[in-house]
Amino acid sequence: MAPMNTRHCKAPSKDAVRQLCADSFPSGAPESWRLAESTAGTLSVSAIEAKELIAALHTLSHHILFHNLTAPEQILVLFPKSFHPSLKILITKIMLEHSPTWRNEALSNQISLPHLVEMDWRVDMKTASDSVSRMAVPTCLVHMKVEDSSCLRGSGALSSVTVELSKETLDTMLDGLGRIRDQLSVVAGK
Amino acid sequence: MECAELNSKIASFEYTITEVATKVNISRPTAIMLQLQFTKDTLPDSVSNDFQNLNKFNEQQFTSLTEILFNFLLEPKEADRFLHQLSEFAGENGMSAGPLRNLMKSLLLLPHGSLKKNLTEDQVKEDLLTLGVSEDKADHFSQQWSLHYPVLSRLAVGQTLMVNQLVDMEWKFGVTVGTSELQKVGNTFLQLKLVIRKGNSTENVYMELTLPQFYNFLHEMERAKASMDCFS
Repeated sequence: MAPMNTRHCKAPSKDAVRQLCADSFPSGAPESWRLAESTAGTLSVSAIEAKELIAALHTLSHHILFHNLTAPEQILVLFPKSFHPSLKILITKIMLEHSPTWRNEALSNQISLPHLVEMDWRVDMKTASDSVSRMAVPTCLVHMKVEDSSCLRGSGALSSVTVELSKETLDTMLDGLGRIRDQLSVVAGK
Repeated sequence: MECAELNSKIASFEYTITEVATKVNISRPTAIMLQLQFTKDTLPDSVSNDFQNLNKFNEQQFTSLTEILFNFLLEPKEADRFLHQLSEFAGENGMSAGPLRNLMKSLLLLPHGSLKKNLTEDQVKEDLLTLGVSEDKADHFSQQWSLHYPVLSRLAVGQTLMVNQLVDMEWKFGVTVGTSELQKVGNTFLQLKLVIRKGNSTENVYMELTLPQFYNFLHEMERAKASMDCFS
């Protein structure tokens, strides 16, 4: 926390501090030389000092997020006693402001199975085949797009699955989905 | 020439097959082909003869043969059982298995073609009579046909091509308790595993849905089902 004290005092404005807090949150931030250099320029410190500052801010923001600290008092105690008071309050305020956004980001980035992105369906009517020359059998085609979230966010590999269901299969599937819905409402009711 | 007159006579069944054949100087099998409903192809002589040979069986033998045939049609995978039952029949009735198998192969053409063309009991009986099978045997066979028709047609429809058929669906839902970023979380998720038939093998597709996505999925599937119900 000590590095933060001296360097932050040299910050040109509150907005600069705010921007710095936001920039130091992403997981790649402590390693980014580009960020370190631009911070060094803004605060008129050396690149190494800037890097330490970024790392400190990163650790602080992630600590707050992990333990879900929502009250200012909980965050204020993290700072050392000799820390500049108004700077302490400013940083705390900024961290709390950003917490909900960061929390949602962390939730959506967590590891999981491929996410369903899009889904559509179509009902066709089979009118003939090689074994029966005249028939009228409905069939359902469901197309799902899934994004593999293990790849980089946004550039996730979108793979596509098309599935054909007969009437019986669709009925059975709806049965299963209905049971899921019932279980969910039981859990929600508790 | 005589075509128009012949066509109208054929239509009103005034001529028998033999009369048609002699009048227009064509072979009997060709004359038969003109009138068969279960196939448009010319039946080879051997097949026509096989059908006529059915008349040599007595009532009980014909009934057993019909039963063996329909058992096979209802369970087409049981080819071994079918051949075994034929050999048994051949042994019990003092005939050789080879010709009997060929006879049954010819006989199978009729139900296969009738299924394809969705023929009725009467149409099947007509075709058997055209082929020279006796009245009571034609009657019995066509009755058995109409008895088993619903199951047979469902089987045929079931054999129709399906692309990426959904074979099984497994699901589980749970709650995320914590992650490396957030110590305490309380997110509900639903995981689906779809088993899809691709050719001869199956493929598993895994995916995760949030609750709103799940409800949307359920809603869409209900709409699809409503749409399918309209058509059946």
